[in-house]
Amino acid sequence: MKIVLIGFGSVGQGVAQVFQMKKGLVKEEYGLDLKLVAALDRSGAAINPEGLDIDLLLKTKNETGKVANYPEYGEAGLSGHEVLDEVEYECIIEVTPTNIEDGEPAQSHMLKAIKNGKHVVTSNKGPLALSFNELAKAAMENKVQFKYEASVGGAMPIINFAHETLSGCKIESIYGILNGTTNYILSRMAKEGSSYEQTLNEAQEMGIAETDPTQDVEGEDAACKVVILANSILKMDVTYADVEVRGISQITPESIALAKKEGYLIKLIGEVSKDNLEVSPRLVKEGSPFAVEGTLNVATLKTDLADEVTVVGKGAGSVETASAILSDIISIWKSR
Amino acid sequence: MRLNLVLELLDVPGQLIDALNPIGRLGANIVAVIHQRDVKTERGTVPVQITIEGDKETLNQVLNVIEEAGIQIIQVDGILRKEKITTILVGNIVDNDVKDTVELLNNIEGVMVADLDLKMSDHPEKSASRIVIEAEQGRKKEVMAKIKEIGNLKGFMVINEV
Repeated sequence: MKIVLIGFGSVGQGVAQVFQMKKGLVKEEYGLDLKLVAALDRSGAAINPEGLDIDLLLKTKNETGKVANYPEYGEAGLSGHEVLDEVEYECIIEVTPTNIEDGEPAQSHMLKAIKNGKHVVTSNKGPLALSFNELAKAAMENKVQFKYEASVGGAMPIINFAHETLSGCKIESIYGILNGTTNYILSRMAKEGSSYEQTLNEAQEMGIAETDPTQDVEGEDAACKVVILANSILKMDVTYADVEVRGISQITPESIALAKKEGYLIKLIGEVSKDNLEVSPRLVKEGSPFAVEGTLNVATLKTDLADEVTVVGKGAGSVETASAILSDIISIWKSR
Repeated sequence: MRLNLVLELLDVPGQLIDALNPIGRLGANIVAVIHQRDVKTERGTVPVQITIEGDKETLNQVLNVIEEAGIQIIQVDGILRKEKITTILVGNIVDNDVKDTVELLNNIEGVMVADLDLKMSDHPEKSASRIVIEAEQGRKKEVMAKIKEIGNLKGFMVINEV
């Protein structure tokens, strides 16, 4: 399968690494030949219709920070649109940073690929949180696959799990811890009794929180995921504006201590149900499935037949997220 | 000993049998059953009065089994069973008048504040209070929404249970 990789940050590089690790296995088990014909970052692109050398690509990015410096086939200044016009491909992997203002440039990339009859695999929450149904409809009309397992929960199975494994069930609600950064911070605060500011600083030093942590700590990232789950699994028609969002920046060590006295922990919980879409700090009982530590994600799906089903997994990490992307690629290949 | 129960059944076939089955199986006796499908609670469920007889342990087991089957027991021997709801409010306890908040909560029908715990902070606006509320069975969601409303009104950040 000829693939264009748009975005070569930590997730994009994770995808390249995973392709390299699993090339042989995927060919053997599924007859799938993974061919990366183009890779882009902000500097430009590297294009080779025969397939890029992944080790060389990763080395170039590592040493120079620019994909455009890829020997012979690298070109500075090329945009995603130009690459999509120029190259012959079957599927794009869109992993540029999430932009929750207007979802660009990812949204245009995805629509372009879809309208040209190409499949889309993405981890980018922006377009999904803002125009999910428009994209899903376009994919259906153009008879292409539109997959986004990596956009929620990283390696934790949820989207495909709900669609495929729970296909006979009606899913009434989903409650989950959908953001690893905030879960790490709250876990540390509970363990150490430290202040929010101090714990955030620690998390930033460890690379678990970004320099600008707003998307994570104010619950925006989790809210995007709530929107995606609501549209995709509960078949609602909602956008980011429909979610009530509150982050963890007001959580204090005193509130955590009080909660602990009654056997509760404070976690940032995303709620997806027909009458409520919300991201807010909540009390969860110690020993409940939501009492997970560190950067793990967890989600409980309430179904009519299977009662409550809970999934737990690594919600972040470049290779972990890339595993979900690979799974979507294999799924597209299998269903062709 | 004898125990008078009021169970809350969904208005679907088989509910009554599911509720009565465990009683005989565990060795207790059914003395009386009053079941009127036409009489419904505000929630659309059917209350059923059952009087059962047995020793204390057997009767406790019966209660557990019925609850495990997902059937709500709303009264035992004339005493309404309660749900416990815990919430934490963060904010300026003094300025935002947590006492008034407690009164507003107590004024909700069927709701009683059972416990209140406070933890002051160096920054007064970051103090926290834990309130434990007892409410009638089946009203948890409704009461939690009310807590949120009142908390927000008073300027507190409300941390409710999931």
